[in-house]
Amino acid sequence: MKHIKIWLSLFLTIVLFSCTKLDERFRSELEQNNSASITPAQLLTSAYNTLYDYTIQGNLWNASEISSDEAIAPTRGPDWDDNGLWRALHTQAWNADHDYLSGAFNSLLGSEFAASNVLQFNPSVQQAAEARFIRALSMYEVLDGWDQVPYREDLSNYKITPTTLKGVEAADFVVSELNAIMSDLPAAGPAYTANQNAARALLMKVYLNKGVYANRAAPTFAAADMAQVVTLADQITATNKYSVNVKFFDNFAPTNDVTGTENIFTLYNQNGDKGGNVAASTFAVSHYNMNPGGWNGFSTLSEFYDKFEATDQRRGVYYAYPEGLANPGKRQNVGFLIGQQYNLTTDAALQDRKGAPLAFTPTVALRETGNNLEVTGIRVIKYPYDYPHKDAQQNNDYVIFRYADVLLMKAEALLRNGDAAGGLVVVNTLRAVRGATPLLALDPTALYDERGRELYWEGWRRQDQIRFGTFLGVWNGKPATDASRLLFPIPSNQLSVNPNLTQNPGY
Amino acid sequence: MRQKLLLIITLMCFCFLQSIAQQKTVTGTVMSKEGTPLSDASVTVVGQKTGVRTGSDGTFSINVPATAKQLTISYVGSETQNITIVNASKVAVVLETNSQALENVVVIGYGSARKKDLTGAVSSVQAKDFNKGTYTAPDQLIQGKAAGVLVINNTGQPGSSTTIRIRGSSSIRSSNNPLFVLDGVPLSGGSARAGGQGDNGTNPLNFMNPNDIASIDILKDASATAIYGSRGANGVVLITTKRGKSGVPQISASASAGISNVMKKLEVLSADEYRKALKDYGLTSGDFGNSVDAFDAITRTAITQNYNVAVGGGTENGRYRISAGYLDQEGIVESTDLKKISANFSSNFKFLENKRLGLDINMLVTQTDENVIFNNSFVGFTGNVIAQALQWNPTHLLIKPGTDSAWIDPAVGSTTVNPLAQLRYFQDKQKVNTVIASISPSYKLTNDLEYKLIYSINRQTGVLREQINRLLNNQGVENRGAATIGNAELTNTQVTNTLNFVKQVTSNLNVNATLGHEYLKYDNRFNFQSAQDFPNVGLNYYDFIGYSTQNSRGIGSGASTTTELQSFFGRAILNYKDRYLITGTYRADGSTRFGKNHRYGYFPSIGIAWNVSQEDFLVNNSLINNLKLRLSYGKTGNQEFPSGASLNRFGFGQQSISQSNYGNEDLKWETSATTNAGIDFSIFNSKLSGSVDYFYKKTTDVLFEQNIVQPAPGGKIWVNLPGNVVNSGVEISLNAAVISKKDLTWNIGGNASFLHNEVNGLVGFYQTGALQGQGFSNVLGQRVVAGQPLNVWYLRRFEGLDKATGQSIYTDGGNTLFYSGSPNPKMLLGLFTDLTYKKFTAAINMNGTFGHYLYNNTAASVLGIGNLGTRNIAKAVLGGSIQEAISNAPAPSTRNLEKGNYLKMANASIGYRVGNIGKTFRDLYISVTGQNLFVITKYTGFDPEVSTEASANGIPSIGVEYVPYPSARTFQIGVNFTL
Repeated sequence: MKHIKIWLSLFLTIVLFSCTKLDERFRSELEQNNSASITPAQLLTSAYNTLYDYTIQGNLWNASEISSDEAIAPTRGPDWDDNGLWRALHTQAWNADHDYLSGAFNSLLGSEFAASNVLQFNPSVQQAAEARFIRALSMYEVLDGWDQVPYREDLSNYKITPTTLKGVEAADFVVSELNAIMSDLPAAGPAYTANQNAARALLMKVYLNKGVYANRAAPTFAAADMAQVVTLADQITATNKYSVNVKFFDNFAPTNDVTGTENIFTLYNQNGDKGGNVAASTFAVSHYNMNPGGWNGFSTLSEFYDKFEATDQRRGVYYAYPEGLANPGKRQNVGFLIGQQYNLTTDAALQDRKGAPLAFTPTVALRETGNNLEVTGIRVIKYPYDYPHKDAQQNNDYVIFRYADVLLMKAEALLRNGDAAGGLVVVNTLRAVRGATPLLALDPTALYDERGRELYWEGWRRQDQIRFGTFLGVWNGKPATDASRLLFPIPSNQLSVNPNLTQNPGY
Repeated sequence: MRQKLLLIITLMCFCFLQSIAQQKTVTGTVMSKEGTPLSDASVTVVGQKTGVRTGSDGTFSINVPATAKQLTISYVGSETQNITIVNASKVAVVLETNSQALENVVVIGYGSARKKDLTGAVSSVQAKDFNKGTYTAPDQLIQGKAAGVLVINNTGQPGSSTTIRIRGSSSIRSSNNPLFVLDGVPLSGGSARAGGQGDNGTNPLNFMNPNDIASIDILKDASATAIYGSRGANGVVLITTKRGKSGVPQISASASAGISNVMKKLEVLSADEYRKALKDYGLTSGDFGNSVDAFDAITRTAITQNYNVAVGGGTENGRYRISAGYLDQEGIVESTDLKKISANFSSNFKFLENKRLGLDINMLVTQTDENVIFNNSFVGFTGNVIAQALQWNPTHLLIKPGTDSAWIDPAVGSTTVNPLAQLRYFQDKQKVNTVIASISPSYKLTNDLEYKLIYSINRQTGVLREQINRLLNNQGVENRGAATIGNAELTNTQVTNTLNFVKQVTSNLNVNATLGHEYLKYDNRFNFQSAQDFPNVGLNYYDFIGYSTQNSRGIGSGASTTTELQSFFGRAILNYKDRYLITGTYRADGSTRFGKNHRYGYFPSIGIAWNVSQEDFLVNNSLINNLKLRLSYGKTGNQEFPSGASLNRFGFGQQSISQSNYGNEDLKWETSATTNAGIDFSIFNSKLSGSVDYFYKKTTDVLFEQNIVQPAPGGKIWVNLPGNVVNSGVEISLNAAVISKKDLTWNIGGNASFLHNEVNGLVGFYQTGALQGQGFSNVLGQRVVAGQPLNVWYLRRFEGLDKATGQSIYTDGGNTLFYSGSPNPKMLLGLFTDLTYKKFTAAINMNGTFGHYLYNNTAASVLGIGNLGTRNIAKAVLGGSIQEAISNAPAPSTRNLEKGNYLKMANASIGYRVGNIGKTFRDLYISVTGQNLFVITKYTGFDPEVSTEASANGIPSIGVEYVPYPSARTFQIGVNFTL
């Protein structure tokens, strides 16, 4: 037995001697305590990258557009049922579990974090301002959709529950942030870098909608807020950086970083470098037999289409651009695609998968059950396809703020402050460039329609409909809805973990 | 010292006295049943300690007292025999292989124990009881063979991955796979297989050659698994490979060849039926006037060849076994195959005069080569090659007339991919090389105490070469072409020190104690490059990837966060009077993964057992031969969450860095507390034996990647949930020796497990079960939610078709989803029988699972009515009392949720023992084996034994069938012999 004790102690000595400390070592990542080498520029790039979820068929776009009167994602027989997610959006019958709504909420707050995180790493004055702009933009979108904006002051410990900024309080926070950073943002430079005019445009959005955030069901608009909108618009104009584009679709073309004379803030897309999924804007609507073949989904509603005059280039034109196809028949290739579609290389008339003419019909239903279910619905192409980069990263920068929007916001503010005539001038100046006949008078409905014609599928429709009080109305496929739908539900996956959130009424 | 001297002198005198007593000489030979001379067998006179050993020709000569009546002949691995020598001077002894002896010792992790000393729930399957046929990985050998063990071949692909669940699923998020240990080397569960885009992944255990495996022991309850601590919660599977037997070198060889065909074809419309359907639906287009069976065109009669040769031999102090295997398994889908070349070397040496120094050296070297097709589950709406074949319009030719070209005819629809083109224009080659080497010296410090070291390295490298031809009409690839090259490596290192103490302390008390220390390190790296835009010049794109366009290129690389595990463990088995047994185990596991506040986890267990049949009142009872009651309780852990989850990490993007998570410093293992009560019995002269076990396993601190309070990085955080998962159940296994006569033996065995699974206390719900196909974007059909079984189905309720419109009717218009049953089987069944009549043998193995629901995603989204006019549909879609509208959306609902009950004749074999042919071939055995012979089920898909990949949000899924690689039915003939 004595021997055993000796051997045992020897064994234990060996074992203890060979003990390891068990510290994790990272080889393809960096650890926080080891993060001195991280530069704010690297984090800022990541913060910009989080914004790519804004693009068409991104969560936020789906929430803002499919829920409105200018877009529909019909279930086409065997296709696009997707467990009813799209129908729930269009009929506003969503609940707190809706994937796209919770996806949008989480994605925006992810942007908020990524932007805030830049501030932890000793950014330069401009870097800090850019990050705070991104954060303000994300928080603003959360305010707009959900009214409750979680805000993390101290990023060091995830156990600290974020405070929640609500309604006007959140709007005021966004305003104060934007004002604080204004002078630190670049006055010039590319549209895909946060800049002073982008901050002004965002401020205009906040002021224009502030009445909504105070009372969504019956908003009133303070004269001071409207005056701010006008002032900011004039400041943007005064920078002389923007002009209304003679060719509407130049703003969205593959080279829109150069040709897009209206673009104030965009998301950078560059083949061979990086970018978001701007191609989805084509794929989401394009029929399988078109070039590029797409997913044959989203359409617009015929009532919306009918608001355009035939001469209005925004409704659609033959748009010749260097990255386009030969298009020998000079067929309409942008805007609202309706009727027979053509092969843009050979000009042959296209057929659907059953051999019937590929001719988009104005009528479309939320559930398509007819023999022509492949071709129902007018399709919308806002971003001209970048054919040299087919099936690859497209070069079209994705537009968030545009000068035409600024002008229409100004017109609306003038109108709301009683200066309909002043507003009319602004609107008609714009319409003239677009090829539309001048309006004779400006009232809220006319302005609302004009915003629709100008900004369709750019992600602002839900907000506009709420501001103009039409969001709960009836349109194709959608019954009247109650005031609870003016807010999205707080996603159940956040509600269950964040005690500082309360579910919005009606959910 | 003086005393010892005295003793020796006395002994010498005694021997001398003995030798001058009346003596006689007995000579003889010792042979195996197969007629092999056994060398080094021990021959002793009964009641005496001295004896002789046989020579290499098996002969011996021994002087015995004239009064000696019996000799004892013993040989490792054989039944010890006593033979009478009263009137004999020459004897011929034939020793039977002692299967009983092997079965009575069970490998229990860091040692072995007599089966009768066990207090835990352990199932042991010997090679002779393995499933018959050709298998690529060891887990398939025990399917249906052990109670409480679910093995699902996920698809029919050669080398397919499997789903293994021991006593149900106890983890929500992390792996539910058991820990596999190969000859004392714990495996990480990972593989260096690089994986391509069309690929479903294969079994990480494919590197093993099933022919080299001697036994598989499955540790199920905490008394058995707690010695594996933080990796024991999902059970432990111990694989023991064959060892050389002492004796002259022997070559044993086997060869088999088989043919495989599709076990079940799905019924789709023939060309004529399709034309009729078009007419019935008033469709004018869609008939191309021909008649084609695309599924036949992509499938084939596949040939499997398997050759194994092993050389074993040695002496009692130095044994070795060298084996080599070659498997060439063609898949039943054209252009798929798996080739495996494996070599195995094992040796056991004893050194020094006192033989106290032992040395085991093992080495396994394997290369697998696979050709994989595009049959992934996550392939988008144009489907994988199986879907493309099923959907192919039966009136349209696959090959363009007058050419050999797989036809991509826009007329059949631009989104329709010709399955033959998909096969020809898509290449995915996977190569994995594995070397596992271990060296294990041991030294007997005293007679009772042995020190042992195991040092092992498991090194794998994997290479992927993949290309998609520019001719294929895949979005993004057409007219461009694509190629990917990928590399992966895996290096696992193990150092295990153990001290074993085995002693009979008093006549009534036996002690078997183990103390150990273990260090494990897991290391993975990968890199890949992909590119596009290649010309067709008759070469493989991946061999000149530099031609590609700059902007199409993608690269990536990564190295795993170091994962190290350091453990201290101990076990003591006390046996009092062979009646009262107690086992205590304890393991402390330290892991780099755990948060700094919980670096070490502690896992104790205790088991007690009572061998009732050893009590005086049962000894020699003719009815009850063995009766043992077992009770155990213990805690085991699961630490299968990603490394780095406890720390804030920053990941790299292109020229950017972002924080990828919030680390949880409190993160730790999940703990399963298992109570097990069991009874082992054998009755009626041991003709009927079996076990019944009840277990209750409550898993707490459940590891989960929970939603984090936003704004936060990554959206999720790894936590130990306050909720719990409960698995409970009853396992019964029975074996009956129905007939055991000289010329006729017949055994029947079976096991049944009844499992219950429930999630409690989870806040909110989490979704998984990704359903696939056109119209199924972002559809998740399963939930993890409190009060329901794990992965409960959550779907719309289908109420039939509307008579007027032919559209589906759903409860509440489809706006409400319902909990619709569990995908986890409630009952597992294994049945097997074997029969020997003279030289004939026969064996049948069946298995089944019951009480669960499968989602037939193939029927739901691949073969729905909406295809009519462009693509094919399932025959079952037609012919109902209500004509389904062609526009009826194939929405995910209970319509395609089917009962998964099945009973499968997994394999059956008949054989004939030819015996020796001349002097060269000995022990010749020929057999015919069938695999997947038939399935009894109401499930309408390919095979109810299925689980295609459907995980989402990182949460594993089970029970979805989405156009899997179809199962094969195989017939093979095999021959075994020794030289």
